[in-house]
Amino acid sequence: MILWGDILKGLKRYYGQKIIWYLVTLVFAIILNFALPRCMPGNPVAGLVGKAASGMTDASATEKIQQEYTEKFGLDKSMPEQFFKWAGAAIKGDFGVSFKEYPKPVSEIISESIGWTIALQLPAILVGWFLGNLLGAVAAYMKGVFDKVILPVFLFMSNIPAFGMATILLFVFAIKLGWFPASKAYGYDLIPNMSWTFIGSVIHHYWLPFLSVVLVTIGGQAIGMRSMSIYELNADYVKYSRFLGIKDRKIVGYVFKNAMLPQITGLAMSIGTMMGGALVAEIIFSYPGIGSALLAAITGQDYPVISACTLIITIMVLLANLFVEIIYGLIDPRIKAAQQD
Amino acid sequence: MKNMIKQVFHSPKFVVGFVMFMLVFLTVLIYPLIVTGDPLEMIGNGAFFEPGTYVNVDEVVDSQQYKLHIDAKSKKIEKDLDQTTRDDMKEWLSKFGGVEESSIDTKDTAALLKLWQDHYSTDIKMTGLTAAKQKYFKRLGDTIVDIVNDEDLSIAEKDKESGELKEKTKIGSNVFARVSSISNRKTFILGTDNFGRDVLGELVSATKTSLKIGFAAGIVATLVGLLLGLIAGYVGGITDDIIMFITNLFTVIPSFVILILISYSIGNSRRGVGLVAIIIGITSWTWTTRSVRSQVISLRNRDHVNLSKLSGHSMFRIMICDILPYIASYVVMAFILQISTGILSEAQLSMLGLGPSTAKNATLGLMMNWAMQCSAYLNGKWWAYFPVILVIAIISFSLNLMNTGLDQVFNPQLRD
Amino acid sequence: MGKVMLEVNNLKTKYVTRFHEDVYAVDGVSLKIEEGKSLGVAGESGCGKSTLALSLMGYYFAPLHYMSGEIIVDGKNISNMKPNDIRRKILGNEIAYIPQAAMNALNPTAKIINFVEDVVHAHEPKVSKKDIYDMAKERFEILGLPEQVLQKHSVELSGGMKQRTVIAISTILSPKVLIADEPSSALDVTSQKMVIKMMRELMEKGFIKSMIFITHELPLLYNVTDDIMVMYAGQIVERGTAKEMVFDSYHPYSRGLMGSIIVPEAGVRDNKLVAIPGTPPNLKKPPEGCRFADRCKYAVDSCKTNKIEEVNAGNGRMYRCYMSQEKLKEVYDND
Repeated sequence: MILWGDILKGLKRYYGQKIIWYLVTLVFAIILNFALPRCMPGNPVAGLVGKAASGMTDASATEKIQQEYTEKFGLDKSMPEQFFKWAGAAIKGDFGVSFKEYPKPVSEIISESIGWTIALQLPAILVGWFLGNLLGAVAAYMKGVFDKVILPVFLFMSNIPAFGMATILLFVFAIKLGWFPASKAYGYDLIPNMSWTFIGSVIHHYWLPFLSVVLVTIGGQAIGMRSMSIYELNADYVKYSRFLGIKDRKIVGYVFKNAMLPQITGLAMSIGTMMGGALVAEIIFSYPGIGSALLAAITGQDYPVISACTLIITIMVLLANLFVEIIYGLIDPRIKAAQQD
Repeated sequence: MKNMIKQVFHSPKFVVGFVMFMLVFLTVLIYPLIVTGDPLEMIGNGAFFEPGTYVNVDEVVDSQQYKLHIDAKSKKIEKDLDQTTRDDMKEWLSKFGGVEESSIDTKDTAALLKLWQDHYSTDIKMTGLTAAKQKYFKRLGDTIVDIVNDEDLSIAEKDKESGELKEKTKIGSNVFARVSSISNRKTFILGTDNFGRDVLGELVSATKTSLKIGFAAGIVATLVGLLLGLIAGYVGGITDDIIMFITNLFTVIPSFVILILISYSIGNSRRGVGLVAIIIGITSWTWTTRSVRSQVISLRNRDHVNLSKLSGHSMFRIMICDILPYIASYVVMAFILQISTGILSEAQLSMLGLGPSTAKNATLGLMMNWAMQCSAYLNGKWWAYFPVILVIAIISFSLNLMNTGLDQVFNPQLRD
Repeated sequence: MGKVMLEVNNLKTKYVTRFHEDVYAVDGVSLKIEEGKSLGVAGESGCGKSTLALSLMGYYFAPLHYMSGEIIVDGKNISNMKPNDIRRKILGNEIAYIPQAAMNALNPTAKIINFVEDVVHAHEPKVSKKDIYDMAKERFEILGLPEQVLQKHSVELSGGMKQRTVIAISTILSPKVLIADEPSSALDVTSQKMVIKMMRELMEKGFIKSMIFITHELPLLYNVTDDIMVMYAGQIVERGTAKEMVFDSYHPYSRGLMGSIIVPEAGVRDNKLVAIPGTPPNLKKPPEGCRFADRCKYAVDSCKTNKIEEVNAGNGRMYRCYMSQEKLKEVYDND
């Protein structure tokens, strides 16, 4: 087509800007992750060596850890030097070793749990977002029971924190009814493998954590979509389209596409908050993801793990945001238009 | 202004939210006036007493006995024989008692007991069972004998001199005591928690602390957001660019992460209620900044602002007199949302063990954390956490309703 | 006399407000337009001219409601047709509409060609996309719009371009009646001229058979339409040819309306620019008598109580006043 060149040029600039912006944000996030703990009055890093050894009885291990950490964090060096040392190692995926599960490397703890978190949260947030938009659109267009009963119920549920929803589901469906298991991601007696028994167990354990995130996500999305749809349904183009005899089905299609677009931006904006909530929900089910790893690290004063967890969470949120914005650039022509002049 | 308030109270959503919030708020204020005393006193010796009224047993024994013609015994048997016991009875009867399995109805207590008494005997050999199982059934037989036993219960007292037990009183199965004549009673409407504290009193006090945290965090966040938004929007140029860069940065970097890092770093001993509130406040101002800035930008070239500029008024005066009144509604709306964000953030932090560390105060998040640490979730002790979730949801829902109501009043195109 | 393209008899419609009050915005309008003719409707804002535009299409949705009267398009009475049939058979096909706010009239996220496809398919579902593209391209080029416009989204078009695109889309199926509601009032002068030129071309090339042009800018009507009709408070107060209306209007309101506008034509140039004092009546409770009586300097007591009927002045000319043509002339000469 004639305009493909222009379109690509516009999008390239849009994506270029976005990617650069997220890289800058990432750098700042890394700096924050490094600097915040060190600048706070409690400074956990300074007291690290003492703390690291406090729980241990094995004298040689204690000494080894002390040595390793003085060297690792370069406590005798200047802040910028410490930063580059730390960041350089972090980029390579080296976050040191855990205090609590010595000598297990932090990267191992992270890689064991990150898969569970992504597999739980990504589908749950997307499904909740999708169902919420669907409900909002239906409530705006059909009104009636959707608008007067179902939407308010979900709206109320969306005000329950994700971990609260998790406890309610746990109580009802795992403790009282016994339909689903109450904790972990697979049966105690199983070793992860690709057998059907194992996959079946994983799916069985997946439902409750998944549902608790989905249920609290729906309401907030639905109310946003409802307002946007009502706004769009009253837009001039809807009237004009009607007066040209275009079918309602088509017009509803226009309206929902247009109402959906701000919702995509909304998803990008709130994905951090959603993930935060979902991480705490993991804890309720002892789901072996980042949330549970974080809790264990905080309880065990395991600073290297905490630091790695927060960095990984930030990176996940940034990637999710970038991904949403890339999708958005593809489907909203206004982005392309804004870049062309 | 008066007219605006009137309009706001005509919005049903706002009114419903306002009433819900005021109910919670007034309860928090009034309840401590009625029920005085330390809400965090560890009154129960032991964890998780179920909701209900507790009466002093000593007094019950001593109080006047009333005989009522009520078949109290069978009701008690009904309660004592739980479903597993019944299933076990059925298993024994069909295996060794020679009773047709289909003719046993575990729901019919009287018939089941009759069958048991007719067929059960310690003489029957239980072949094909493990020793443990055989022992279990023997014990079961004894228990059932105890349950069914209809003899009176004797209360004995030790004679001070001889040390002999002397029967003091006899209690039959149909003897009753009058509840209100027993002076030592204690009602736990919501039971007690893991430390033996009255959950209701604790909940009210926790709600109060959480509301305080919400308000304080909201005020901090709104002030920071308002200030940055005003400056960015009004001054514009490079100042605006810098402020918006920082704002965008903190919108994308999850505030949850920053909260964790700061809270962990300042350490347990320093983390009081006030500090937690401030930390939450300084991590959640970005929304306010964005919304204030966009409003200010649309306002800064209005005639009345230009007039003030020409009259040589200071920037401070223009902001206070010419801009603030126009964005007040947005600021109030943002503040309302910040309160609920603050309460939720505190709850999340506390769940991770990073909440306010104080023995004197309970917060909604801490209550959830305590319940979780003592496995209340897994043991079905619903009263220890369910009311907490409900209160969080009600506060958050009512604030959101108020916000939606205000939004519809101030942005008429959202009305349906 | 040409074939009658649109005939409206005693049409009444109302708005129902959020508080369930009725506002009688179009109160007994009758008109006729012949093939190849155009009619301008003028009046101050709130007089019901935009509502008339919406009402003429025979398709109503809240808050606008149909009350009585009939609309006949090319001999077909559409006022008793089912709403869905009107939409399928009439709207966009026989009667086309150009909205007041063309800036937002196009779906911001659809390409122009996709929108054209939807319009055509709504009436002729079997036409292939290729045919639609060729047809749209041809029509756009005749009307002076580049082919590239079809591939753009509305956000990529300038205001004037957007308005002309809307006009081209509205008339793509060569409707019998085009209703244009202030199509040029939001534009700069250059774009206005192009829009007017386009409207004329549509008539000349036969893409539309008749046109109703609604505006508050009278000089525009003088240049564009054959006839002019003046509306006041939901009713027609006068109708005549453009020349008659501008230079020799009967009704005191029409005269006031002409007087309040600078028209660079000889004869009226000397007229003083005067505003009409007062405000139009509340249409929730229209007055019994003449609706203009309160603001009319020639009004007598009976004006406020007696119902004033339309007076047929011959040759399609009509006005609504108790005074005769001679009496009116005399009154105006005395001023």
